[in-house]
Amino acid sequence: MKKKKIINKFSEKDEVMNRFSKKDEKDNVATALVDLGKNKEAHIYLSNGEHLTNIYSNEMIPHGNKIALNDINNGDKIYKYGEVIGVCTEDIKKGDLVHVHNVKSLTVDIPREFKKEIMRQIKVIQKEGEVNEL
Amino acid sequence: MNFKGYRREDGSIGIRNKTLIIAVDECCDGIARNISEKVKDSVVLTNSYTCMLGGNEETFNQMIAVGKNPNVGGVLVIAMGCGSILPEQIAEPIAKIGKPVDILTCQKNGGTRRTIETGIQKLKTISDKINKTPREDVSIAELIVGVKCGGSDTSSGMASNPSAGNAIDKLIDAGGIGIGGELFELQGCQENLRRRAVSQEVFNKIDSLIEAERLRWSVEGTNVETMSIGNSVGGLTTIEEKSLGALYKMGTKPIKDILEINKYFIDKPKQSGFYLSETTMLCGGAGVNFASLGAQMVLWTSGAAGFNNPIIPVIRISGNEDLFNDDMDIDARGIMNGSDTVDNVGNNIIKKIIEVANGEKTQLEDLGSSTLTLYQKDQRLDKLLGNCKNR
Repeated sequence: MKKKKIINKFSEKDEVMNRFSKKDEKDNVATALVDLGKNKEAHIYLSNGEHLTNIYSNEMIPHGNKIALNDINNGDKIYKYGEVIGVCTEDIKKGDLVHVHNVKSLTVDIPREFKKEIMRQIKVIQKEGEVNEL
Repeated sequence: MNFKGYRREDGSIGIRNKTLIIAVDECCDGIARNISEKVKDSVVLTNSYTCMLGGNEETFNQMIAVGKNPNVGGVLVIAMGCGSILPEQIAEPIAKIGKPVDILTCQKNGGTRRTIETGIQKLKTISDKINKTPREDVSIAELIVGVKCGGSDTSSGMASNPSAGNAIDKLIDAGGIGIGGELFELQGCQENLRRRAVSQEVFNKIDSLIEAERLRWSVEGTNVETMSIGNSVGGLTTIEEKSLGALYKMGTKPIKDILEINKYFIDKPKQSGFYLSETTMLCGGAGVNFASLGAQMVLWTSGAAGFNNPIIPVIRISGNEDLFNDDMDIDARGIMNGSDTVDNVGNNIIKKIIEVANGEKTQLEDLGSSTLTLYQKDQRLDKLLGNCKNR
């Protein structure tokens, strides 16, 4: 079952398979509805199903994670659903993974050790993805 | 849009016709369950806190409120006889709205065997009486639907929550009422809530109740996770992102008011629209909270799990491709791959709401229901935190 999934996930033939969702016009990130490899084309769709644009990923973006739709500077706000979901803690390039390593909450931030563990687990996922990709 | 429901004496509309046994103290739970086994469509609500009244007022109020829920046709209240809560105190307010209600006290009735025997007879009498209630045509505007999430994953914020929100908006457009809860999970949503509150007064109320809930769950010395590592590995970066995703299930309508559940009173929604409530984020307790607010059913958005309530049917909605199974009533998977829209799934939910209101069983109805859990905020803790106001 897992094998079949991986094949689907990295198929470049079907546009639907590289689908990312941008929830609101204001958003500077889009959510991956698939696992996307490094240097692959992310197809950005709006909620109404309209295809907006394609951008290249600078690194792997695992399913459910976010990609930067444009360059975002340290201190800028991150928008998803048209609302602020946090603030950028280092410069982010268009196509980068946007997550706990470069964004923090304005309300209750995740402890540093937790962030390290989260990114470690994500890197494990990324590595597995790359292995399976070959 | 109409469905066939049971009109109660007080004018409220039930979509199920259950008999409810309320065990006012935990030691008669077994007696209550023995009685329930012998009577079809009966359910048990047990007060597992204490048989004393002091500090137990919130559950006391909830027992009465659940007895008044329109899905409950009649009630049998039982007590052991040595506790402080008299069955009459629960039975009388319920009887006052015109429901068949009876009481039973173990001590006065000659012990456990005789109480069970008498209880079965009493409950059957109530059941026979309410079984004569016909279903009649009523408008969808009579529906009060709770919305709750659990087992959340990436698909929740993208597919199942927006679909539930879409359906809640449509229900309100048709004159119905939607109720959300889980104040703890609204941290970071204050901006959004401020825009939706119908008045500054309502906003202030929302704000102070969210803050009180935050205090309860953030007492120093405890480790309460606002987000699990699994949430974040799945892609959720901040509590704001998680909360906003969860908020989607509550649609876009103005927030009319906040419905409080406390030791003084339990609010009821009065007119069409969307309400926030003090319904707990804990699943079993949330079912009873929603029932006590008068909801007839719950929309449940999930990765692929969740509770089932024996009084108010639960409609399950999931968009998780990997975990989707026959527990689910609504398939939101198409939204994830672009083959379906939130609006279309919202329409499917409305259709399902009407079918379930009409009497059609949900996928899991009568199967694996969770116990009717009375959730109560810790009175001593609330006192220490200064959450208790004089009323």
